[in-house]
Amino acid sequence: MIEPEQTDLILGFIPLTDSAPLIVAKEMGFFSQWGLNVKLQKQNSWATLRDKLHAGLLDATQMLAPMPLASSLGLGCAKVQVITPLVLSLNGNAITLSEKLHQEILQENNLAHVTLPLAAYLLQKVINVRKIRKRPKLRFATVFPYSCHYYQLRDWLSSANISEEDLDIVVVPPVNMVAFLQSGEIDGCCVGGPWNAKAVRAGIGLTALTSFDIWQDSPEKVLGLLASFQQAKPNTVIALSAALKQACIWLESIPNRFEAARLLSSDQYLDASVDVIAPSLIGSCLTHITMPPRAIPSYNQFSKSTKNAASTSSINVPEYIRGEWLISQMKNAGQLKDIDVPADLVRTVFRPDIYHQMRLKLEDQSVQFFRRSG
Amino acid sequence: MAWKDSLQYTSSLKQQKNVIPELRILLIDENRQRAESLTSALNNSRYKINHLANPDMSLLKQVDEIQPDIIVIDIESPSRDILESLSTISHYNPKPIVMFSGEKDTDTINQYIESGVSAYVVGDLQADRVKPILDAAVARFREFQKLKVELSDTKQQLASRNLIDQAKRLLMKKRNLSEDDAFKAMRKTAMDTGQKLDDVAKTLISFLNTI
Repeated sequence: MIEPEQTDLILGFIPLTDSAPLIVAKEMGFFSQWGLNVKLQKQNSWATLRDKLHAGLLDATQMLAPMPLASSLGLGCAKVQVITPLVLSLNGNAITLSEKLHQEILQENNLAHVTLPLAAYLLQKVINVRKIRKRPKLRFATVFPYSCHYYQLRDWLSSANISEEDLDIVVVPPVNMVAFLQSGEIDGCCVGGPWNAKAVRAGIGLTALTSFDIWQDSPEKVLGLLASFQQAKPNTVIALSAALKQACIWLESIPNRFEAARLLSSDQYLDASVDVIAPSLIGSCLTHITMPPRAIPSYNQFSKSTKNAASTSSINVPEYIRGEWLISQMKNAGQLKDIDVPADLVRTVFRPDIYHQMRLKLEDQSVQFFRRSG
Repeated sequence: MAWKDSLQYTSSLKQQKNVIPELRILLIDENRQRAESLTSALNNSRYKINHLANPDMSLLKQVDEIQPDIIVIDIESPSRDILESLSTISHYNPKPIVMFSGEKDTDTINQYIESGVSAYVVGDLQADRVKPILDAAVARFREFQKLKVELSDTKQQLASRNLIDQAKRLLMKKRNLSEDDAFKAMRKTAMDTGQKLDDVAKTLISFLNTI
């Protein structure tokens, strides 16, 4: 076992389906197994969550995968070195269109129904017609400037040569996404669960495609903490990562994910009904109130066993190549203009070395457990 | 109050208004009571408050319509992400943003918020504290914006000087002119055609490079 330097920890999370590893680690007692007494603190906005982490009001937190890089570059905030020793989840976002836009797509393209995943070029006609008739541009929402949601939305649009000048992209908090779709303030959004499923169940949207249809298996949420915290309390970080890794492994089993949906639904966490939380967890993408769901087995992915027992690779490893990929997305989105990106940035932020130390401890512990239980 | 006095009072109010311009505040706070106490704290001051109790439905529209001079927001509001994006995704004229928070430890957050950019955390909304904080926020924000403009002006000047130097060297090389004559020729063209010197330089560079 390991002796954490600090046992009482405050962790931040945003009410989303992919905060499951944090909630599971707490509720299933994985944190306490590692000698940690963790308090989960719900946050309403990513900016506030980030500022609280920077200020030390949160010891560690769930983060959007590009956020530790953005913090370390001082994008939109003070420059603070944030690291990630663990990827918490892959995939999990989807693009949902308002019912009004859905109907507009059918009409302008002379279609009786759409085929999913929806090809972005079907939007092109709508954009052109709106331009000719001098009607307002389409408005799409994403959740944060430095988010995979934003880059995925851009990628999908650019697959049909739709540029950001053809429509407006705004930021809307996930909790308000469904209301915005309904009121017509936005025509579509890229958001994580349970908000897509909620819009479909409420009959106000069409989930056109999931982030898995755009990018396969890229990191979505990561564990973020200050580099200075890790330097001062390395054992605490290992214990924390180990407990969360255990939660990710636990979440690999589908029956366990049903149980997770039940845990997440409580009002202290997502405060949403199980029937909107469960689908993405069990690989089902609700599409439209009149249409059957699509099977997306990796819709929310927290862990994946490797067939090769000796393999050390895992989807939870914060590999450099993933950091480089995110940097390239930030660059494409024009977020790194006038910014000096240090050559070793990804190496200082993505920390597979801590992950591998943690994995050894985790194996060690399971061997001991095996011996004890005979 | 006699009518004369009241007239005098109105005209002195008008005078005051002429001296200190009004500043529009967009307050984003779901707590109506707190909003009322802030409004009364700022009564008879140059700050005029627009309160948005349920901001999420119309924040963007409101910012567009009101064009506030300051935005005051509860640090716990989900709308913080919208505000943050205004300066990154949308090309939006930045405003000073003042944040307030129930957290006791706001000073810690405060020290991490990029000084001068926009954000100032107020511990609470006590009447006597609010005005000086708003004044300071506006002043620091303006100072910061001025520095930013100066910086981009300096960058611009450097860039145009580079262009002019480059064009001058090309002229000297290709037309066998002295440095002084090259510069005079460019200046004359600029004056004759009513163009800026760096525009002339740009045209010259592309012209001289193609022939």
